[in-house]
Amino acid sequence: MSLLASRPTALVPARWGFFISTQSLFAVLAFVLLAGCGPSVNRYLLIEASLRAHDPKGADAIVAAAEKDYGSKSRVLYGMDRGMTLQLAGDYQQSNAVLEQAEEELDRLYTRRIRTETLAFMTNDTALPYEGDPYEQVLINVLKALNYAVLGQWQDALVEARRIDHRLNVLSDRTKEKNAYRDDGFARYLSGILYESTGDVNNAFIAYRKAYETFDATRAWSHTAVPSQLREDLLRTAEALHFTQELAEYQSVFPGTRWETSQSLQQLAQVVVISYNGRAPRKEDQFLDLPISLDALQLVLLNRGFSQSNRYSNRGVDTVLYGLNGRVVRVALPRLVSQKSHVPVDRVSLIPDDNGTRVTLNTELVHNVTALADKALAERMAGITAKALARAATKFALAEGTTRGAQQAAGKDAAPWVGLLVGLLTKGLSVASEEADKRSWQTLPDEIHLARVWVPPGRYQVQNRFVGESHDPLKPEAMRTLFLRPGETAVLIQRVMP
Amino acid sequence: MIVMDRGRIGLVALVVLSLAGCAQETKVTRVDSGVVTDLSGRWNDTDSRMVAESMVKEALEYPWLNTFSGSKHRQPVVVVGTIQNSSHEHINVNTFVADLERELTNSQKVTFVAGKGDREELRTERKEQAMYAREDTQKAPGKEIGADYMMKGTIATILDEADGTKAVFYQVDLQMVDLESNAKVWFGQKKIKKVVEKKRSIF
Repeated sequence: MSLLASRPTALVPARWGFFISTQSLFAVLAFVLLAGCGPSVNRYLLIEASLRAHDPKGADAIVAAAEKDYGSKSRVLYGMDRGMTLQLAGDYQQSNAVLEQAEEELDRLYTRRIRTETLAFMTNDTALPYEGDPYEQVLINVLKALNYAVLGQWQDALVEARRIDHRLNVLSDRTKEKNAYRDDGFARYLSGILYESTGDVNNAFIAYRKAYETFDATRAWSHTAVPSQLREDLLRTAEALHFTQELAEYQSVFPGTRWETSQSLQQLAQVVVISYNGRAPRKEDQFLDLPISLDALQLVLLNRGFSQSNRYSNRGVDTVLYGLNGRVVRVALPRLVSQKSHVPVDRVSLIPDDNGTRVTLNTELVHNVTALADKALAERMAGITAKALARAATKFALAEGTTRGAQQAAGKDAAPWVGLLVGLLTKGLSVASEEADKRSWQTLPDEIHLARVWVPPGRYQVQNRFVGESHDPLKPEAMRTLFLRPGETAVLIQRVMP
Repeated sequence: MIVMDRGRIGLVALVVLSLAGCAQETKVTRVDSGVVTDLSGRWNDTDSRMVAESMVKEALEYPWLNTFSGSKHRQPVVVVGTIQNSSHEHINVNTFVADLERELTNSQKVTFVAGKGDREELRTERKEQAMYAREDTQKAPGKEIGADYMMKGTIATILDEADGTKAVFYQVDLQMVDLESNAKVWFGQKKIKKVVEKKRSIF
């Protein structure tokens, strides 16, 4: 962004036949523009390219190299991004360490610093430490739970399941609005799977039930149906616990659902597939230029007319134009750009070594990250807008005050020139520094899919392929070997980038 | 001139501010390991030590020890089983168990034998000795001491939180189980309750 935005400063004089000889002015302007533009070359594009090339280690190296660029205000974001890439690269221990740090930092951020808040109010929200949306905070624990499960450290995975429960309890206490994000179907469901895999059927049933209720309650905005696997899990655990009333209830709610009893699965091994599909949505600036005079209105309209052709390169032009005019107030709001994946279902095959029957798993949607991000932003939008407007008004008043002050100080002769210069600087500054907080956990997928199956113990070859993709035997990570003992659970994590 | 002065004041203020930002450096102070350091409210060394100490004291006071020594004329042999962590934190159970083992062994009233994980390593070593060590120094298999009791336990937490105030309740349960009869000869319990308050805003 900064590369693109800084270019027009050089074009301004030629385009508008207007020339200010003060070199320093341009230096200051360029600095202001660069400072206002936040993270430059989009590292997420590079990460996506690496993931697409089946090089998660390369993706992780990109995040690791960018640690300094994240800055002190985005420590949590760095932990989130890195935790995900490390998980994909198979470094589960390190992923946990990084995510644990992010969680501790998050804990510290509960206490707000008035100094930082004030600074952010004077510039923009990117000066605030990044805390992440509640659904992202829950996913920190989800990722950690998965890491521990892959490592076979089930007790630690359960610690994460308990933390998820606690986090969601605090969240639902805090969130008054019934239709908001106040519980997490997928996180609950995964907790249930972890509990059941360690033999704690009672806790598993409670988690499944909460998951079912959440999936059901949030269906309207989460665009996620109750997973059919979850229905089977509910029926099975209700039966295993001899909860006859609940069993009858669920049987009437899910007629025709076929399920195996807990007893019949005891001697089998379980395979859980977690599939991360596509890319999480990103955020963009959405600028509202509010003219406060007729002249300014014309200018804004004229400028918008130009900008149709080239939307990204005119931030510098805007700064100079609006700074000169001095009657335009700019408000920046974040806007979500979804990057939907088109993977309806992933297919994972388990091929037994002893020439037994091949088992095929079809994953189903359990977590729609894009929908959650959309909901989270919508919930916060009123607050963001109010704050942005208040900030714009304050900035304008300050700039106006400074300009008048400078004009008076300069005396009668120099007043117009000084006024123009100071106005250009201060008002340009307030336009340039206006930026929405576009940070979000972008190494997340668009959707998370899940499948679980019970198979006879033994050695298996795992083959992943999503529907519509032609079979490519040369693809790295196409084959993995699993050795399963009775009663054991294996967790497979895969990333699918269409 | 006035403008110049203002500029200078501004510059000084800027320098002071930036210096204030840089003033943080690492500071290390050595403290006695017995000093209570409650920083985050999470399970820490103080908790581990306090629980181990009080549990050992309790375990040695109860009559199961004397009953055993009286009837068998030797010290009871104890093996540590699993200490289940069913809390909200990734507690390093091993340091806690080590604290317990050390205290009990040093009391000279109990003999500890290696637990499951350690045994594997020791057996491998014996197998290798049988192949590679001089005959008169080899240690023969089948001479391990069988334990009389197994010590098992759990660390559990109950958490309650609202508006930045968190109440954490730890309950550590330890039990000594007779390996022959499965009878529980001793049951120790230690509870710790902490209230962690976080301020919503500071300057």
